[in-house]
Amino acid sequence: MKNHRVRKSIDAGITYFILLVVSLIFSFPVLWLLLASFSKTGSIYSFDGFFPAEYSLDSFRRLFTDTVLYNYPQWFKNTLFIAVLSSLIGTILVIMTAYTISRFRFRGRKMLMKITLVLGMFPSFMAMTAVYILMTHFNLINQHWGLVLIYSAAAPVGYMVQKGFFDTIPGSIDEAARIDGASSFTIFRKIIFPLSAPIIVYTGLTLFAWPWSDFILPRLLLKDRDLYTVAVGLMSLGDDEFARFSAGAMFIAIPIIILYFCLARFLISGLSSGAVKE
Amino acid sequence: MSLLKNCNAYVIASMLLMGAGQILYGQWVKGLLYLALQVTGIIFFINYGAAMIAGFITLGTVEGNAWYGIDGDNSVTMLITGLFAIIILIMYFVLYVSNIKSAYESQKLAASGKKPQGIIEDIKELADKKLYKTVLLVPIIGVCIFSVLPIVFMILVAFTNFGGDTVPPALVDWTGFESFKRVLTLGTFAPTFIKIFGWNILWAVLATAFGYLGGLGLALLFNKKCVKGKVFWRAFPILAYAVPGFISLIGFRFMFAAGGPINQMIVNNGGDVILFLGLNSTWLSRGIGLLVNTWLTVPTSMLLATGILANMNKDTFEAAEIDGAGPVRQFVSLTLPFVLFATTPVLITNFMLNFNNFGIFFFLRGGFISEGYFLASDTDLLINWLFRLSIDNNYYSIGAVISLIIFLITSIVSLDVYLRSDAYKKEDIYR
Repeated sequence: MKNHRVRKSIDAGITYFILLVVSLIFSFPVLWLLLASFSKTGSIYSFDGFFPAEYSLDSFRRLFTDTVLYNYPQWFKNTLFIAVLSSLIGTILVIMTAYTISRFRFRGRKMLMKITLVLGMFPSFMAMTAVYILMTHFNLINQHWGLVLIYSAAAPVGYMVQKGFFDTIPGSIDEAARIDGASSFTIFRKIIFPLSAPIIVYTGLTLFAWPWSDFILPRLLLKDRDLYTVAVGLMSLGDDEFARFSAGAMFIAIPIIILYFCLARFLISGLSSGAVKE
Repeated sequence: MSLLKNCNAYVIASMLLMGAGQILYGQWVKGLLYLALQVTGIIFFINYGAAMIAGFITLGTVEGNAWYGIDGDNSVTMLITGLFAIIILIMYFVLYVSNIKSAYESQKLAASGKKPQGIIEDIKELADKKLYKTVLLVPIIGVCIFSVLPIVFMILVAFTNFGGDTVPPALVDWTGFESFKRVLTLGTFAPTFIKIFGWNILWAVLATAFGYLGGLGLALLFNKKCVKGKVFWRAFPILAYAVPGFISLIGFRFMFAAGGPINQMIVNNGGDVILFLGLNSTWLSRGIGLLVNTWLTVPTSMLLATGILANMNKDTFEAAEIDGAGPVRQFVSLTLPFVLFATTPVLITNFMLNFNNFGIFFFLRGGFISEGYFLASDTDLLINWLFRLSIDNNYYSIGAVISLIIFLITSIVSLDVYLRSDAYKKEDIYR
């Protein structure tokens, strides 16, 4: 018994050591950018190794006040608008698509699955020229709605992860509800939907994070400097603006970090454990 | 076709005029809806559709000339609007068939002495047994316009001479397999294509394996019983995940730069500057690219694996433990099959994403041109090369041919993998 306990504590020790190393690996580059944002001079070459030679809050002040050339607050608002809307619409579309493909058996279903798989394989930017011409026709150049439209319309192609999730929810739950006279829509709304919190959060988060980091599409469709998203805006910063770049980068990460900490419990809870015992 | 043999006059009325049969059967709302759709469709095709399709075939006949003020045809626009019209035509045909089928349904119902289905029952059915029709309508239309249409456009471009000097206002023409011949026989394109393709495959395999196994490993690590404060530990990868990819990439680029912090430390300790991402450090840059990519992709697959592990039946593990299965045995026989089952599609998607990972070397290394490569560097993936060929240098039809070749190879491989996988064959196993 004692031997067992020793082995357990050694195991825990190793586990925590790995945890520490992993945490360091993942946080170090981010912390480095954070430090850089407090550097007094903008250029990286004035750094002493990893650390800025002098610290100040200057780059943050300039980020929000010096908006003539680089209107960061406006970019931030633009991106937030696009990200929230396309995440909302996209999540609904993806979840509904995945649910129906997982639960219904209809003619052409397998065909549909194969087609979407093949669609996802096409190098996406090769379609950019076509997308650009299309958007010009719909009069959606320089419009944030155009981006929302593309992001949410493209989302359902990536329904596979969510379908995989729904496939692992036992079908016996559905059948039990159906015997009680519930329609498919009711089953989805009352039973499947509450059970799918983790995958909904996952979908929402990925779809939310996408517009924050995408730069090809916004650069193609947004021509006005004040309409830029944060990614395109930061890309347009000059080389000697490293500190301002990292200050801006830190502010993008904040909404996503906050979101995660608010929603963390959804990602963690085991859901099937209480549903149906087989 | 029992429908064609057995249909009565009402169904034939529907064939001639959409909705007519339904109205004759007393399904007013449905019939009028079909009728309205037919009228709009016909008006659309008379006014615009026919011209759009004609333009698709000719790709323009009048060449524009700014000097003489001639407003010529824009071949590229004509190609895409023509495609748009064809998609609408296909949707219209589907609608037409559904109209005949619904009339035939009513005929069968009437023959067995029942009343044809009213609109209220139709709506009820769409919310229950045929919910998939209602739900999938919007995504399918969206995907058709924003994914299928652009992709078909690019495929068609491979069969034209679009690119180089032949861009609007010059007229573009259909040239058949001319561009394919140029790619496969011309000495400029073929050697570069082969070199990049080999590296691209190696990259996709390694990058996918590293990211996937890393993510799964992390999720399992956080899931261990002895780990306290899971939320805290999990926050670190999330921190990395929250920073948009291009920012991390630019950050890493600065970190490994000739004057960056790592080299400063090496110099301070008496070493020589290492050009990690320089012009001649092929394998060093490739290795760094792989590490950085792992750093970027592990958090996402960790999140996913956590979600899937949460969905696993805990009783099985308790039973296995009572039966004396150790942690390794549990992982191999229980965890891995389950996770693989749920994530095979993700694995394929990740493979495709890595195969077409545009950002990684674009940001890390920028725009070198290496010796022995045509408009590409030795770390460039096919997608980077395509970007340079078509967006920077206007080789549109050549780019389209190359992406078509990649597309054929990758889609066949991953379709094959997917169709062989348990996730597809036994999708009902865990239900």
